[in-house]
Amino acid sequence: MKQIITLTVNKEIYEIAVAPNRTLTQALREDLNLLGTKEGCGIGDCGACTVILDGRPVNSCLILAVQANGSEITTIEGVANGRDLHPLQEAFVEHGAIQCGFCTPGMVLSAKSLIEKNQNPTELEIREALSGNLCRCTGYQKIVEAVKIASENMKK
Amino acid sequence: MLLLPKFDYYEPREMSEALKLMSKMKTSAKIIAGGTDVLVNMKKGLISPKSLVNVARISELSDVEPSNGTISIGSGLIVEKLTEFDIIKKKLPILFKAARVLGSPLVRNRATIGGNIVTARPAADLPPALLAVDAKLKLVGAKSSREVSLDKFFIGPGQTVIKPTEILSRIIIKELPPFTGGDYIKLGHRNALEIAIVAVASRITLDSPDGVIKEARIILSAVAPKAIHAVSAEKALKGEKPTAKLFEKVAKLAAGDCAPITDIRGGAEYRRAMVAALTKKTLMNALNEAKGK
Ligand SMILES: Cc1cc2nc3c(=O)[nH]c(=O)nc-3n(C[C@H](O)[C@H](O)[C@H](O)COP(=O)(O)OP(=O)(O)OC[C@H]3O[C@@H](n4cnc5c(N)ncnc54)[C@H](O)[C@@H]3O)c2cc1C
Ligand code: FES
Ligand code: FES
Repeated sequence: MKQIITLTVNKEIYEIAVAPNRTLTQALREDLNLLGTKEGCGIGDCGACTVILDGRPVNSCLILAVQANGSEITTIEGVANGRDLHPLQEAFVEHGAIQCGFCTPGMVLSAKSLIEKNQNPTELEIREALSGNLCRCTGYQKIVEAVKIASENMKK
Repeated sequence: MLLLPKFDYYEPREMSEALKLMSKMKTSAKIIAGGTDVLVNMKKGLISPKSLVNVARISELSDVEPSNGTISIGSGLIVEKLTEFDIIKKKLPILFKAARVLGSPLVRNRATIGGNIVTARPAADLPPALLAVDAKLKLVGAKSSREVSLDKFFIGPGQTVIKPTEILSRIIIKELPPFTGGDYIKLGHRNALEIAIVAVASRITLDSPDGVIKEARIILSAVAPKAIHAVSAEKALKGEKPTAKLFEKVAKLAAGDCAPITDIRGGAEYRRAMVAALTKKTLMNALNEAKGK
């Protein structure tokens, strides 16, 4: 039986009816048409489905939409400020941290959670914070550098 | 895309309501806390419960309560919070260390301590640390509740003594005596998101900073169907003055205390050698912590 749930996604309130067996990834992509959140493995290994749920980055493929009822969610669509990219997004674009782009939404959201807690992350802290996000293209180095640069730019 | 099968979903806010649901539905229902094991197993088709009972909204299950000499941790506390609470960092550093190496930050933000125990994976990260500090579990049923020591909880992979109608409510740990130190080291192929090939948790308590070993626990993980005590190694430490030479000897005993298997993740001989190496290293670190270094 479908249940009515309320999600605040990127500061907008949505009320949707979902079956209990639908994941938060599915609800975001299929019900709210927010296609920035990707599904790769579906079992917590790749981080393509990362969203920020009540202030913490999580794998949305391993959360039931009904479990997220009442929560506040940030997806990649909520990271830019209108047409202005977030400093992290800018750094990713500028410094070659994006190739195919499939991992990028998750990487940016994990990095954003880190930078909000820790304005001067070390390389190790960045690698640790991104350790649940896999990238098959870049070899990670450019991603780590982009996060470092963004964290410095954000202090200016 | 991996889809979830259909199920009925319940979301009790009170413990009593959750217990009523479980005693009515028994094995046809499964409790879900963080869901990082349950949902993966359902997606892979390994289990297909008729109903899921979400216990994450029962607020009393997710606090930490220090009270006269014990620390009582709610089963629903997420693993990341174990690394954030000062009281855990200060009073149970071994649990803090184990929590820090569980999965990825994304998994730690959902996975609960209770789920990590009840799921009974042979290589789960929190049970070795909890066994090293003699943790007890509070299991609550609709009519009665009981306390079970973690040592008596696991039967084998995925199997424990909890009844389908019971809920794990709290993990209870007696505050450790002075001059206690511990360490947990897990060996994986890479640093993150890795199931242990071998892991060791050690804890020692000295009778004085420069005295002899009063109590010792050495827990070996991923080398048996469940985490085990290195029995002869623990015995050999008791009453002895801690030295590198003693730890060397004890490490060899620990390697003999387990019967690891060969699988895709590592050979039995390699595992045995790693048990010895990690035993020695965790004991050295435990000693330094016990001496306040
Ligand atoms: C990508 C990935 C990486 C992982 N890496 C690790 C790792 O490195 N180390 C590690 O140890 N684990 C790892 N895990 C496994 C998992 O995250 C942990 O075991 C986690 O702690 C389970 O907690 P949960 O709340 O998500 O459990 P759930 O999935 O909600 O539940 C697990 C089991 O416990 C039962 N249960 C839960 N709470 C209660 C309760 N209060 N009373 C009675 N029964 C209960 C459920 O019915 C179920 O059988 C990983 C998982 C994923 C997906
Ligand atoms: S799709 Fe969620 S972790 Fe891979
Ligand atoms: S850019 Fe292709 S997966 Fe990361």
